[in-house]
Amino acid sequence: MEELVSIDKIRVQLEADDWKDAIRKAGDLLIASGDIEASYIENMIASVEQLGPYMVIAKGFALAHAAPCEAVKNNAVSLINLKEGVDFGSSNDPVKVVMALACTDKESHIASLSKIAMRLMKEGMIAKLADCESAEELYGLINRD
Amino acid sequence: MKVPKVQCVCGFGCGSSLMLRMAIDDILRKLDIEADTFCGDVGTCLSNPCDVIFISKELSELIMDRAQVPVIIIENFMDSAEVEEKVKAYMDSLEA
Repeated sequence: MEELVSIDKIRVQLEADDWKDAIRKAGDLLIASGDIEASYIENMIASVEQLGPYMVIAKGFALAHAAPCEAVKNNAVSLINLKEGVDFGSSNDPVKVVMALACTDKESHIASLSKIAMRLMKEGMIAKLADCESAEELYGLINRD
Repeated sequence: MKVPKVQCVCGFGCGSSLMLRMAIDDILRKLDIEADTFCGDVGTCLSNPCDVIFISKELSELIMDRAQVPVIIIENFMDSAEVEEKVKAYMDSLEA
């Protein structure tokens, strides 16, 4: 098993007021781990405000991210699910699973994000991630081949 | 037939576009079709040479009226049925 998302960057059954709060909750895990500075969270929110909710790339799933910048210290991902879904204004609403992605440049994270993509494409995966009741359960789903 | 250059586009060319590229690569393998896939960002994608652009619905609105190549909208990147249908339709159009 190759660890793609570490357990300290996973939380389940969080409560979010709205889509911004959901992005903040996912981003906070990357602040706690020292991978980003707080300004990167605001960049992720600004990206949605400027470009629309395109980050909601699948039913119920948002890949929150912004452009590589100095506020990103290390390539990192966090993954949370929400007790109640939030609306981004996308046809794939409501969103119950949010992954926050931070990258230091446009290239170095590609291998690990590709592996994450392959796992997310498994049939029914996002619905299963949305239903996880414990961080261990979610950790197992995203990290198991 | 020449190998088509397929550009997958998101806001910055390094996050969701990579997810889309993986999904398209997966379908190309399944259909045994050769194509050159790469990622681009919405700000510069129209100046990158390519034969087709795959993009989310929201971002398509920013480039649709200026694009010189077909722009194909994918609503759910993780829905392999949708990705397969649209990739296949585009590839079939090349042979026609």
